[in-house]
Amino acid sequence: MSNWLAETLAVFAKDWKSEARNLYALNTLALFAITTLVLVSVGLGPMGVDAAGAQVLPFLLWIVLLFATSAGLPRAFVQEEETHTATALRLAARPSAVFWGKLAFSLSLTWGLEILVAPLFLAMVQLDVAAPGQFIAALAAGGFGLAAASTVIAAIIAQARGRSTLFAVLSFPILIPLLLLVVELTRDAVGGFDSGAVLRQLLLYDGTVAVAGAMLFPAIWNP
Amino acid sequence: MPSPRPATPAPEVARDPAAPGTGPDAGARTQADRRPGADLRFHQVRRRFGRLTVLRGVSGQVEAGRVMVVTGANGSGKSTLLRCLAGLLLPDAGEIAYREADAAASGTDDLTDSPLLDAGERRRRIGYVAPDLALYEELTTEENLAFFSRLRGVPRERGPALLQRLDLPLDRPAGALSSGMRQKLRWAWALLHRPRLLLLDEPFQNLDARGEGVVREMLAAHLAGEPGGAGPGLAVLAQPVDVEFDPRWEVADHVQLAG
Repeated sequence: MSNWLAETLAVFAKDWKSEARNLYALNTLALFAITTLVLVSVGLGPMGVDAAGAQVLPFLLWIVLLFATSAGLPRAFVQEEETHTATALRLAARPSAVFWGKLAFSLSLTWGLEILVAPLFLAMVQLDVAAPGQFIAALAAGGFGLAAASTVIAAIIAQARGRSTLFAVLSFPILIPLLLLVVELTRDAVGGFDSGAVLRQLLLYDGTVAVAGAMLFPAIWNP
Repeated sequence: MPSPRPATPAPEVARDPAAPGTGPDAGARTQADRRPGADLRFHQVRRRFGRLTVLRGVSGQVEAGRVMVVTGANGSGKSTLLRCLAGLLLPDAGEIAYREADAAASGTDDLTDSPLLDAGERRRRIGYVAPDLALYEELTTEENLAFFSRLRGVPRERGPALLQRLDLPLDRPAGALSSGMRQKLRWAWALLHRPRLLLLDEPFQNLDARGEGVVREMLAAHLAGEPGGAGPGLAVLAQPVDVEFDPRWEVADHVQLAG
């Protein structure tokens, strides 16, 4: 195994080991996801897949996922700075291994959250999905986009004062294109419409954010 | 003990011709220029935080097998200097030149053809002990060192060996250690990858007499060159007051920072 891969896997495994003991991100994600899911479901009731439901429900699903990940994912870097462990990590690991290790951790959390939330959401609002494969692709690619964007934003804000303000300011321009694409893809999946072009755009967004993040990260992470 | 060399504010001066790679005969060294191991030189290092000037042109040098002592009152910039040397902070002005021989590649512990290491390389190679350095509180001491062993490509057995030598429990979470035990864990972390250069910021803080004795022995062994290591090491030791010198240390330089 290459040194870089070993370092990346070490960062990923360490984050999961720490998370398994303090449960901070898991608790935050679960709290936000379940709360918003219940609120949405109770507020709307079962809408079925009529025209109105097919338009609105994909938005609500991604709002649930966005709120949950926004609350939990930025901790990946903020916690390293707040607990002063960032110095040890900075001195021992190459920046790219830290970035990809943290991204892998955020991605595993996001996909885990989607596996939990998406079926619950579909069941609670009694929404049928006409193209399940496309729906899963939307969740996978959208989840990757959320994890990649959150990792980049978290790295930028971790060393700054006024983190919450900065998080909101940075998140808006980075996440809006993602959400527009992923909602459209999810809506098409529910309605059974082909949307290969949207999926390609979404994958392009994912790749761009991940590559740009990897290129920017050494400058953000080191002085 | 050498006399202290005050780091008083000084105007910009010409580059030290003796600084590595800067002399007129750089690249044309002879056998007489051969220097073993590693050396660290810094020249006119300056650092400000906003309007507050912390380092006003600090210079010093230390070679393999020797210690540089940095003293000064609280707030005089000792930690800032060490963070600059570690590559954790960029100085606003001045030069930091660190080289170490790559005995594995060249077959000799000779600095002659060793390149200067940039801040990124310095960060990865040094050992660093400082009060603001923390390890993962949820992980045990052994798990912490196992994680950093993987990052540094060090055999996993090195961590438990260091912990045992420092009389630290292997299975206790780092968050449940006393302040003295945390300091020992910082030492174990710093020595894990057998670095040539040790940057030590108040390294004996919170240690009891026995613990201090052990780390002083480890520092002496580091300077002499431990079996299995790359060769004689060097250290920069920062303390608020004059440290009790150990007869085993050969002090290369004493930089005294004005408060």
